[in-house]
Amino acid sequence: MTARRLPLLAAVLALVLAACGGPDVDVSDVPELPPTTPAELEALVSASEVPVVVNVWASWCGPCRSEAPLFREAAAQAGGDVRFVGIDVRDDQDGARAFIAEFGLTSFEHYFDRTGAVPASLGATGVPLTFFFSPGGGLASTHIGVIDERTLALRIDDLLAGTG
Amino acid sequence: MEFSLLGAAALALACAAVVLWWEGRTEGGVRERFDLVLSSAVAGLAVGRIAAMIGGGTNPFTHPGDLLILRGGVDTGFAAAGALAAAIVLSRVDVAGRLDAVAAAALAGLAGWHGGCVLRGACAGTPTSLPWGITEQGGPVARHPVEAYAAVLLAAGAVALVLWRRRGAPAGTAAGAALAWAAAVRLATEPMRVGLGAGPEWWYVVGLSAGAASVVWSMVAGRAQP
Repeated sequence: MTARRLPLLAAVLALVLAACGGPDVDVSDVPELPPTTPAELEALVSASEVPVVVNVWASWCGPCRSEAPLFREAAAQAGGDVRFVGIDVRDDQDGARAFIAEFGLTSFEHYFDRTGAVPASLGATGVPLTFFFSPGGGLASTHIGVIDERTLALRIDDLLAGTG
Repeated sequence: MEFSLLGAAALALACAAVVLWWEGRTEGGVRERFDLVLSSAVAGLAVGRIAAMIGGGTNPFTHPGDLLILRGGVDTGFAAAGALAAAIVLSRVDVAGRLDAVAAAALAGLAGWHGGCVLRGACAGTPTSLPWGITEQGGPVARHPVEAYAAVLLAAGAVALVLWRRRGAPAGTAAGAALAWAAAVRLATEPMRVGLGAGPEWWYVVGLSAGAASVVWSMVAGRAQP
């Protein structure tokens, strides 16, 4: 094979791989996201008997796209041992529902925060953000920016180790 | 924005360059070999990132910018296969000889990448009670510094490979040995890693088997030559 054919081969391979579908969720099956406030989120994490991982995302946020599959996988793996919560900030409902459908993020709950007041109340701005809460609502750690698989898995393992 | 991943990549390239320089003192061709290592690494990262995007449900054609967000995930197996394929294609002639020439540098580069966990704050693995267990970012338990284990083993492999080549390793064996060692190190350390879902162990088994088979085949072929 000559080096000239390599880009063509790579393009064909990429097309074939792209044809392999991702999560198959119809956007019409995704309900509108209920609005939330800092006080409501605080009540939610305080009442939780298991650790809570709160991911702040937006459908227009490119880096959020790259970490969305990790949260889907983490939520599926954790089962009921960890509660996952998504907070969609500074977004619109249509975009949010399309994002959830595209990445199949239907296995955990999502809330709508048009102004970004929830992450601001936790001392962070921008997206993506991830907050890790111990049972009872104590903020264990905050990750600012895109989270990678290893870091997400370690933080969750730390939460579970702290409760074990 | 934080640049710890870039720092780890720079450390990997620096480690590869040191080994290339070390070998180049007697063999020459350092520049060409570094180009081959760098090009193959970039190709491997691209293939691995595309595979991870597709696996996660993102179409690389509709979201090409996501390719650059390596922190979102790089599929290790596809990345290794992509890098190897790129190295073979770019070598064109004397493929075995050129792969041999960069094999130790590739191991050193991988050692640097794993050692770069210090910059990324991502060295820790499963919990341990051993005295050298580490805690990162205020974690409640001590953990294996699993990436440091991998870095040390890979660096040792790189040094051993350089010395073996100087003693006259048959053509093709160094590249095969490097592949087998890299896969073996990942396979051995994988149980100490914390991850989501099943790890890519079968990729490492394939790499170890292919590398070992390549070494045996090269040695047999070398002896058969008059």
